[in-house]
Amino acid sequence: MEDERSFSDICGGRLALQRRYYSPSCREFCLSCPRLSLRSLTAVTCTVWLAAYGLFTLCENSMILSAAIFITLLGLLGYLHFVKIDQETLLIIDSLGIQMTSSYASGKESTTFIEMGKVKDVVINEAIYMKVIYYLCILLKDPMEPHGISQVVPVFQSAKPRLDCLIEVYRSCQEILAHQKATSASP
Amino acid sequence: MVEYSPSPLPERAIYGFVLFLSSQFGFILYLMWAFIPESWLNSLGLTYWPQKYWAIALPVYFFITIVTDYVLLFGINMMSTSPLNSIHTIIDNYAKNQQQKKYPEEAIPALRDIPISEVNQMFFLATK
Repeated sequence: MEDERSFSDICGGRLALQRRYYSPSCREFCLSCPRLSLRSLTAVTCTVWLAAYGLFTLCENSMILSAAIFITLLGLLGYLHFVKIDQETLLIIDSLGIQMTSSYASGKESTTFIEMGKVKDVVINEAIYMKVIYYLCILLKDPMEPHGISQVVPVFQSAKPRLDCLIEVYRSCQEILAHQKATSASP
Repeated sequence: MVEYSPSPLPERAIYGFVLFLSSQFGFILYLMWAFIPESWLNSLGLTYWPQKYWAIALPVYFFITIVTDYVLLFGINMMSTSPLNSIHTIIDNYAKNQQQKKYPEEAIPALRDIPISEVNQMFFLATK
């Protein structure tokens, strides 16, 4: 079962949340970030090339112009491959674990998997990030202390959805985690 | 235990008046040192006073320090904000070591740090 809704991120851009319910114990949430806009691309390219032309008129060396073109191309490729994230996915499987996938604009995908034995809880935390934002994070258990938290793993870091989207994801995750705690408590 | 209050007291009035007199005296002395020519001061016998350059330099230094402090304070605040994946946004040493006292029913519970899981359940799961 699949459904899609649109939300907005903390800067006001449009996000699309796709929820897939594979089974009562396995769910996937897919957040699509806004694409690279033509306007910002042309703005950056124009500023870099105008600056290079200004330097060229100062020192009459035409290598500057070809260097500027080279830098723009390399910069765009590097940005698409290392920085611009198109889609972020959170997959929860009841007795197995939680998997986070980020797919970049160039097609690269980077995946992180946390096994269920390490997961203490999935919570919505508030923190300061140039203003106060809500973000979803996974709390990991501390092997030394039974009720301690060893690490905090934030999810949806580049999509940064607002609270309404986070509440939807949080409620679905809590259903699965409650189900998992019930089955693990009664052996 | 001593009661500290901001009300006026005779001692405070005396401190204030001494501070007022000394600051007025210091200002008049600074103006005299800055404006009276070197030769007149020498003829009075005051030869070992700082160069007049400092009459301009010190106020300039002072104002530039104030302007830099705005930027510096903003930068220090940015640096000491915990990142989003830091454990300090969730818990700290005082909350870890807090004791749980048994309280009788019908009484108001003692003040304590509530774990974030409970807070989340109350905020986001209870309103259905």
